[in-house]
Amino acid sequence: MTKRMWMALISLLGLFLGAYLTLYKFGFIGTLACGVSSCEQVQTSRWSVFMGLPVATWGLGFYALMLALAIVGMQERYSDSSPLSLAMLVLTACGAVFTAWLNYLEAFVIHAWCEWCLFSAGMVLVLLVLAILDFRDTRTTIEA
Amino acid sequence: MATKRVESGRGRKAGTVKSAKQPVNRAFYLIIVVIAVIGIAALAYLSTRPKASRTVAFDSSLPTVQSQGYVMGSPSAPLEVTEFGDFECPQCGRFATLTEPDVRTRLVNTDSIRWRYIDFPLEMHQNTWNASIAAACADEQGRFWEMHDAIFAAQDQWNTEATSNPNKVLKRIGEPLVADKAKFDQCIDDQRTKPKVQAHYQLAIARKLPGTPSFIIGDQQISEFLTYDDFKKIVDQQLAKIKANPATATPNADSAKAAPLKKAGE
Repeated sequence: MTKRMWMALISLLGLFLGAYLTLYKFGFIGTLACGVSSCEQVQTSRWSVFMGLPVATWGLGFYALMLALAIVGMQERYSDSSPLSLAMLVLTACGAVFTAWLNYLEAFVIHAWCEWCLFSAGMVLVLLVLAILDFRDTRTTIEA
Repeated sequence: MATKRVESGRGRKAGTVKSAKQPVNRAFYLIIVVIAVIGIAALAYLSTRPKASRTVAFDSSLPTVQSQGYVMGSPSAPLEVTEFGDFECPQCGRFATLTEPDVRTRLVNTDSIRWRYIDFPLEMHQNTWNASIAAACADEQGRFWEMHDAIFAAQDQWNTEATSNPNKVLKRIGEPLVADKAKFDQCIDDQRTKPKVQAHYQLAIARKLPGTPSFIIGDQQISEFLTYDDFKKIVDQQLAKIKANPATATPNADSAKAAPLKKAGE
């Protein structure tokens, strides 16, 4: 599997995670499956909404965009596209910064952890690493 | 075409045959589609499954709820609903601000149900005892429900995340509500109503409630956030049972304590 395939796969999983948490936030899912942490405390805190939209919905949008970019990037025509690679790098970098801020809030402000949020944070981190490697590959191709 | 050589880069070694990727891509798209179908099915199941999974059968051996908490509604209402709530619990706040206004207007004000609130301050919330004590202090001046609503509405201003001195904020919240501000402040400082809150807490513990908010609606006990529609559905079921067998109506243990209500339009 190529890096972009992995990115597409991870983004798809993230998309469903975002959809799950968004459905919960809008009251379509009664309670969150949450084994060892305080998902509901985090998901219902005032920090769970950003610019009028649930944070989960922002996540949903992020993963949907990443999925679309990764699938486009898998096409022969765009396989060495530097702008596409740069777009994925910028997007994942923004996602990582936003995720870091959310984790900071969980640790030092809300004093509660949501395992789904941590799972998402892990996926964003892997996406960022893959995007960096992909960008490096693209530049190597151009130089070659 | 299958013999076309490609340049190095993008993780490929020079000489890799490009068209060899096609079967891999097809297999990958198949995996994506399978995961998408499973994911959509899972989400559809989760969002459509019955949400009463945390409903437990009524255990008649547990202590009955009598003459405790704060009561709102008509003494002659056939059904009494008891909420065990925690002022700092986000789901209780959500219920108080989103669902409860409709419950009061459509069910309590129409004499369909009587409403009882009992404190269940959970250990995980550091400031919730202060809130329960402050609400009980407002009750001394007949302003419990006003304070109850104000505390939930301003939950993010006095909760553990917001302050380490909740009493200061709670006094400010109560200031426009109570007639005797000095008495109210003194009550909070002295924790005069703490025994009452403790009694409420003990009652919740004795009932082995799993968390907040917990509702006792006739012979049902539900421990989760309820939308108005969910709540109304359970109330309607219980009212139907009472209609079929009037002896099952909830007795009013303390009608004298029931707060007078303003009817809609008054």
